Amino acid sequence: MRAVPLLAEEAASGIGALGIDWTSLLVYLVNFAVLGAILYFFAYKRILGMLDARSSRIRESLEEAERARRESQEQREAMERSLREGREAGQQALAEAREAAERYREQQAEQARAEAAQLLERAREEIRQERDAAVEQVRSEFGALAVSAAERIIRRSLDADAHRDLIDEALAERDAGAGRN
Amino acid sequence: MKKRLILLAALALAVAGLGLGAIGRGILPVPEVHLAPQKVFSVGGFAVTNTLLSAWLTSLVIALLFGLGTRRMAVVPGRLQGFLEFFIETLYGFVRGIAGERYAKPFFPILATIFIFVAFNAWMALLPIYPNVGFMGEKDGQAYVATHLFRSAGTDINMPLALAIISFLFFEVWGFRAHKAGYLREFFRFGNPIQTFIGLLELISHFIRVISFTFRLFGNMLAGEIVLFMMTFLTIFITPIIFYGLEILVGGVQALVFMGLTLVFAVSAVASHGGHGESHAAAEPR
Repeated sequence: MRAVPLLAEEAASGIGALGIDWTSLLVYLVNFAVLGAILYFFAYKRILGMLDARSSRIRESLEEAERARRESQEQREAMERSLREGREAGQQALAEAREAAERYREQQAEQARAEAAQLLERAREEIRQERDAAVEQVRSEFGALAVSAAERIIRRSLDADAHRDLIDEALAERDAGAGRN
Repeated sequence: MKKRLILLAALALAVAGLGLGAIGRGILPVPEVHLAPQKVFSVGGFAVTNTLLSAWLTSLVIALLFGLGTRRMAVVPGRLQGFLEFFIETLYGFVRGIAGERYAKPFFPILATIFIFVAFNAWMALLPIYPNVGFMGEKDGQAYVATHLFRSAGTDINMPLALAIISFLFFEVWGFRAHKAGYLREFFRFGNPIQTFIGLLELISHFIRVISFTFRLFGNMLAGEIVLFMMTFLTIFITPIIFYGLEILVGGVQALVFMGLTLVFAVSAVASHGGHGESHAAAEPR
């Protein structure tokens, strides 16, 4: 390959030797503008947009996580509260049941005591009636026996032996009567 | 041990090259320093130079890189998308750190394009095709690359000048947008001769920025190119690698400096400015 001749400006001296060229300058400006536009639409906008989107997504996720944590905490608190209330209600019910049972037991004991006393009283009453009846019966039988004995005494001669025999006979009849009963 | 050996070899080669004469003499042609870019071909009377070709190639590479990397944006990024996101986010963070949330978004596209264009131009120029591909010539009976096909666009003064003009227009336009006609009061202060003089100095300093921007980038890029040529010619092996590493750093630093200064000037233009007894609040970006 052959070299293309160098720029004319290179032969110049002073500031001209630097090669300042207005057309080149304009081309560089246009080049920069085009590059800037390309980068703006295909790089900055997309990348910064993505970074913004990602940061909002992360923020939303964090907020959502915080919300979920709060909800979970609230639910846990509610659950603990209901558990506590349930436990308290249970304890209260248990206490009430114990109290009712105690009351019932006392009632039953009282009732049993009253019934026992009633039974005892009735038994005593019956015993007393039985005794009274027995006494009455003995009394009436003894009276009849005495009357019968007296009748017999009066009918027989009133010697000592006969008198004793009469009494023994009367007593023997009474014992026989009692044994029958 | 290996590192020490490499450093020793580099040092020995550098000493030999600098002290005893270029090792590359007879092997490599004597490097030529061209201040101005070289014409590669013409289109309708317009000379397409190797630096302009390089700028187009760099622009194409940047466009392809970002186009491919952002073609299918995913919430969970791939490697290229992840790298580009990291790159852009870092730049955006830098801009936001200085300009604040209010101006970061409107400032960012121009500033990032300046950084990317300057840095990629400098880094692309370190590829072997830059010094070795071109149109051959003959000197002292030895063939050499007389006209390089590509040359770092930063070594063409038109590129730094174009960027300096863009930078200048950028912060001046923002100054006017923020303060409207009040922005001129920064430069034209009447009533007090000292203030008038300060205003005049301020006005001159704004125009001087174009020159300082231009020559800072141009000088650094050209010096880097010359250093690489010279070190390659003087020592041929190993030592140039160190300078290649240095040039990677210089390219990034120059891009950062260009972008950073433009950013600082823009922030200064939109910020409240007083100095002659009054201040103007920065206006909302529209």
